[in-house]
Amino acid sequence: MTSVVQRFRSEFGDAYSLGLCRVAVAAMLFWQSLEAGHALLTEGYFGTAFHLPFIAEAFVPSPRVYALLLATRLAAATLAAVGVHPRPALAVASLLGLHALLCDRLQYRDDAYALLLLALVVSFGPCDRAWLITGAVPIQDRLAPTWAARLARLQLSILYLASGGSKLLNADWRDGVVLADRMARAAHDGRTHAIPQSVVDAITRLSISSGLSKLAIATELFLAFGLWIRRTRVVALWWGIWFHVVVEVTTHMPLLTGVALATYVLFTTPDTLARKLYFDPSRPKAVVYSRVVTLLDWLARFEVRPWTPDGKRGHTIVVTRRDGSRATGIRAFAMVCRCVPLLFPLWAPVALIASFTKGGETNPRS
Amino acid sequence: MGPRARLAIAGVYLALQAALVLSAERRPDRAFGFRMAAESSTVVVALSRELRAPEGATDAVVVVSVKDGEWVAHDGTGKPRRIEWRDRVHEPELATFDTAVDATAGAVATVARLQAALDDVATHTPDDTETRALLADIVVQRNGREPYAVHLRSVPR
Repeated sequence: MTSVVQRFRSEFGDAYSLGLCRVAVAAMLFWQSLEAGHALLTEGYFGTAFHLPFIAEAFVPSPRVYALLLATRLAAATLAAVGVHPRPALAVASLLGLHALLCDRLQYRDDAYALLLLALVVSFGPCDRAWLITGAVPIQDRLAPTWAARLARLQLSILYLASGGSKLLNADWRDGVVLADRMARAAHDGRTHAIPQSVVDAITRLSISSGLSKLAIATELFLAFGLWIRRTRVVALWWGIWFHVVVEVTTHMPLLTGVALATYVLFTTPDTLARKLYFDPSRPKAVVYSRVVTLLDWLARFEVRPWTPDGKRGHTIVVTRRDGSRATGIRAFAMVCRCVPLLFPLWAPVALIASFTKGGETNPRS
Repeated sequence: MGPRARLAIAGVYLALQAALVLSAERRPDRAFGFRMAAESSTVVVALSRELRAPEGATDAVVVVSVKDGEWVAHDGTGKPRRIEWRDRVHEPELATFDTAVDATAGAVATVARLQAALDDVATHTPDDTETRALLADIVVQRNGREPYAVHLRSVPR
């Protein structure tokens, strides 16, 4: 407990991933504000119709003020996304969003609330040291207190714990009744296009939905804690991504998925350019691989470099891991999958296959 | 920001979150509690109006059903006026009648919101001088179980 408090007080680290998280959160805030603007134009201002504010009616703005606040939210989210005064901009966008949420509980959604909280917490931290339109910041200037990133991670754990815990205490959820009924109604309403009919039919059977419900509860509770433990973190991140993909396909909660994935970035170890990816520039395939990795390496894990071909038959790419060991072939691909966010969902099966291969290690791992 | 301030902000934030999550069950919509996809419920709402009975009738009031949230009532000058529920209530969940709709906020929250909507419409339709109260007969189905009925009545007009 003392060490946790101590870390909140004085831990420093690279704020690179917090910058990436800021961009993702700001983009979602922009989208959320755009949707609110669309609702204002098509349905009119909620404040002049039936609404249920959490706060006193006196704090619900007039239509003109609301439109102004909405425009400010859009502008602030844009500034935060591109990195111009990102911290105050993110705080403003978040606080105005929270105010709008408090003005009408009919519009309250847990995922929207989670996004606004994440934005607020990220704005507490040094999210203005990376991912700026004005240019890159040297690594020594990115070292800053990590307490806000830690708080954002705790917020996600609270979300998982509250969601998983409440389902665990709910007999209908535990027994699969809720899941089966939700799926049956979604199928009835034609909202299951993305899911094969056989899967839909299976989930609506109580014997299957009961097991799946228990798996969902166990997943949420595992994620609440597993993301914090170094030994289980990478598995938790991988499992969490697939969990959210399934939730997205079956329940369609894009903001929740976005919030979780943006926070997952903060769980990654902050070690930019700690690995190297060498490629053979004489091979077109290697050049393509190197460019793809450079393009998708949002966490700046790899220093991508060509090597000078020596005329011998060599490898297309060689990855040097953090510990200095090298990998080629499928092992190198597994390493790339582990580090590149868009390829990370492939990591576990690729790593599993790679573990059965004998080749790919160019020197023994220490 | 100094180390003590960081710790204080984090402490207050986490305490507030814990309080909001733990108290969520006390709120009908479990707001701020992260109860994702907590239940699977539907409501079917039938709207009706309670009118003063014509002279000579045996009952003091008559109940007239409302079709699709729209009705015609006379204003203070005797002119017929078209009243539309959706002029005040925009939420599709609270403005769909005689058809099953998802109670996305949960059955309890949806019923509470419908009560508030009834009161709101009853107090924001000055052109309707005939209706004494708005009534909602709701069939609630929670988690696919046996449906049950709830009867709501707006504040008297």
